[in-house]
Amino acid sequence: MATNILSIGQSALAAAQVGLSTTGHNIANAATPGYNRQVIVQSAAQAQNFGFGFLGQGTEISTVKRVYSEFLGTQVRSAQTTKSGLDSYYSQIKQLDNLLGDPASGLSPAIQSFFSGVQELSSNPASIPTRQAALSSAESLASRFQSMAGRFQEMGQGINTQITSSVGVINSYATQIAQLNDAIGRTQGTSGQPANDLNDQRDQLILDLNKEIKTTVVKQGNGDYNVFVGNGQPLVVGVTASSLTTIASPTNPQKIEVAYPTPSGPVLVGGASLVGGKLGGLLAFRSQTLEPTQAALDTLAIGIATTFNAQHRLGQDLNSNPGGDFFTVPSATVGASGFAVTITDPRLIAAAAPIRTAAASSNTSTATISAGSVNAPPPPNVNLTQPVRITFTSATTFDVTGTGTGNPTGVTYTPGATLTYNGWSATISGTPITGDSFNITANTGGVGDSRNALLLGALQTANVLNGGTTSYQGAYSQIVAQIGSKTRELDATSSAAGKLLSEATLSLQTESGVNLDEEATNLLRYQQAYQAAGKVMQIASQMFDVLLSLGR
Amino acid sequence: MRISTLNMFETAGTRISDLQSGLARTQQQIASGRRLLVPSDDPAGTVRALEITQSQSLNTQYGVNRQQAKSALGSMEGALSSVTSLLVDVKTSVIAASNGSLSDSERGFIATELRGRFDELLGLANTRDGLGNYLFSGFQTATPAFVQTPTGALYQGDQGNRLVQVDATRQIAISSTGKSIFQGGGQDVFQTLNDLIVLLQTPGTAGLSAGLATAGSNLDLALDNVLTVRAAGGTRLQELDALDNTGEDRNIQYSQSLSELQDLDYAHALTQLTQQQTTLEAAQRSFAKTASLSLFNFL
Repeated sequence: MATNILSIGQSALAAAQVGLSTTGHNIANAATPGYNRQVIVQSAAQAQNFGFGFLGQGTEISTVKRVYSEFLGTQVRSAQTTKSGLDSYYSQIKQLDNLLGDPASGLSPAIQSFFSGVQELSSNPASIPTRQAALSSAESLASRFQSMAGRFQEMGQGINTQITSSVGVINSYATQIAQLNDAIGRTQGTSGQPANDLNDQRDQLILDLNKEIKTTVVKQGNGDYNVFVGNGQPLVVGVTASSLTTIASPTNPQKIEVAYPTPSGPVLVGGASLVGGKLGGLLAFRSQTLEPTQAALDTLAIGIATTFNAQHRLGQDLNSNPGGDFFTVPSATVGASGFAVTITDPRLIAAAAPIRTAAASSNTSTATISAGSVNAPPPPNVNLTQPVRITFTSATTFDVTGTGTGNPTGVTYTPGATLTYNGWSATISGTPITGDSFNITANTGGVGDSRNALLLGALQTANVLNGGTTSYQGAYSQIVAQIGSKTRELDATSSAAGKLLSEATLSLQTESGVNLDEEATNLLRYQQAYQAAGKVMQIASQMFDVLLSLGR
Repeated sequence: MRISTLNMFETAGTRISDLQSGLARTQQQIASGRRLLVPSDDPAGTVRALEITQSQSLNTQYGVNRQQAKSALGSMEGALSSVTSLLVDVKTSVIAASNGSLSDSERGFIATELRGRFDELLGLANTRDGLGNYLFSGFQTATPAFVQTPTGALYQGDQGNRLVQVDATRQIAISSTGKSIFQGGGQDVFQTLNDLIVLLQTPGTAGLSAGLATAGSNLDLALDNVLTVRAAGGTRLQELDALDNTGEDRNIQYSQSLSELQDLDYAHALTQLTQQQTTLEAAQRSFAKTASLSLFNFL
């Protein structure tokens, strides 16, 4: 019997030791990321029938298990991947928000100062310094466009680098998870007991992987985790890890895309299927914000250059030559970074109109002719500057003579109606008398004329973009508004996702996390159990002593 | 409910860090004086501010343009006022020449004096502005408006009126052509003056009084014509002053709107700063207190 008591005490002592070890392990790992608290599963040892009844045989530890909920773990992973994705998107778009928010670096002040230069020019068309100033303000508009486009390209390159590094991290995690699948399988297979710490490590790796990309985890019967990304591309299957790779986009070599290797070469993983996590956020930012914004800036640059050129080409420069292109219209592939000023000689700014009108000195009536304007669109009519004479043959009819007009006769006169010949338009008003004539001629030497500069200046507020619905400033404002609204939206959604994540984490931690006060209690409990077991063994020993002393 | 010790620390850390970034933001607003630091602070407000800034910049530019217009109209008025007094002087000479007691040589003296006046008038008609542009030759500001001919002067300019954008919807003429000033109103002042000189140089009194009468009436027409042009210039100057006033009013409105959109309400911001400080301090203190509670302290 005494041996039985001794062995009962011994089993209690051993159990208390296991309890103390487990508690110590919990305390040691209280701050370890991904650690789930462990508890011992203790039960009474099988009792023995002594005829008078069953006598307990002490205690035994059946296993040490970790307290972990698959369900809560999946919730945390899912919240984490959403949060990481939004954070990564937000941190990128915030850069654009800051770029556009800086009053000194935006496009607005450059557009305004450019048009101030054009206005100054319209007040002093003959002044070379004023022309030079207008040209300089155009140069600074061009350099602002180029620097903004450059900033966007830099961001694009930064995203390329981050995609590559994120794919590297994902591949490294995949390898580690496959290794852990292997280690866990073998450990649990040989011992028949759960490999708690290895399981913790693997769950933590899956969580870390979800910070990079959203995954689907399928737990196998043998305890392996199979991990899939995107549209079901396998990343880890059993003990085998696949890898993702990066290749230059077939449509744009400047752009890095995610691919998975196949024997016949890498195949693109559609960006739309790679969501969540840092990588998903980067891809979403690039396709939903960076590229559309770049495209909008390119469209604006092309729009300004095209519309300004169109008016400029209807004018006449200081050398009395027809206006050429003022800006270099960037090609759609080059975009805003190709926006440049074509003109370098300030004399070549076409501030004047190529024609002028005059009433003949011999006219006897007070009928007047307007200053005349050149009809859009360019190129101007080849006969634009041919001299044209309008001669009244009666108070209500006139003849037109001049190359290109077809020399019509007996045209009906309507006061104030627009007359259009050779690509110009003018109006005659008043009551002409037979014999009155009006001349339209080339504006040779018209250096003080700023009619075209006034029309160029009017472009600042005219709705000439997007099919005549938006002004230059309006188009830029739309870009600012879109970035501002999206940043604001992401700020809100990201902080909501953050709340969701902390709630999910709290739920999981409530169940699985280590509470040091609880462990302190356990420590006391197992310490006392140990002491009590020792006492039992001491008593068994004393009983044995009593037996031995009987023979003396 | 169980609480994980790690989670307790992490939650407190996140909360304190959130409070700190809120505090930093308010501090940044106070330091910059701006309510809108980035477009996301208020996308609609930012766009509105961009539009108002453009309107204000245009309004300022129209003000600059108006100064240019005023200066051009002022130069024109200066030249034309000299033309007016010159014509008045010539009229006085015409009256003096009509004195029947004058000899041929005395009329010759008047003719000589009038020749000087002719040159002076031609000079005035070819007045240039500070940048060397001829005022009265229409668009061809690099070409002298008039050249002398045996019978008077020939207008070399054109009929273009130079315009300046002085308001969003108003362009104002800052020039009048030499033709309309000196050869308008049914007379040609150079020819009148030349004819008068020839008349006074001609010996004898045959046709003198008739010629002088023609000269006198033509000079009256010329004076009227110049005064009409000056009156038109004066009206434009008045309009520019009126536009200046509305431009200044508008500028104040734009500044106010911009200030309402962009500027920080300091009272509000400072109150918020104090409140955020208090919250942060409370969070820090309460964390320090709860974190130090541990059963291990009693073992």
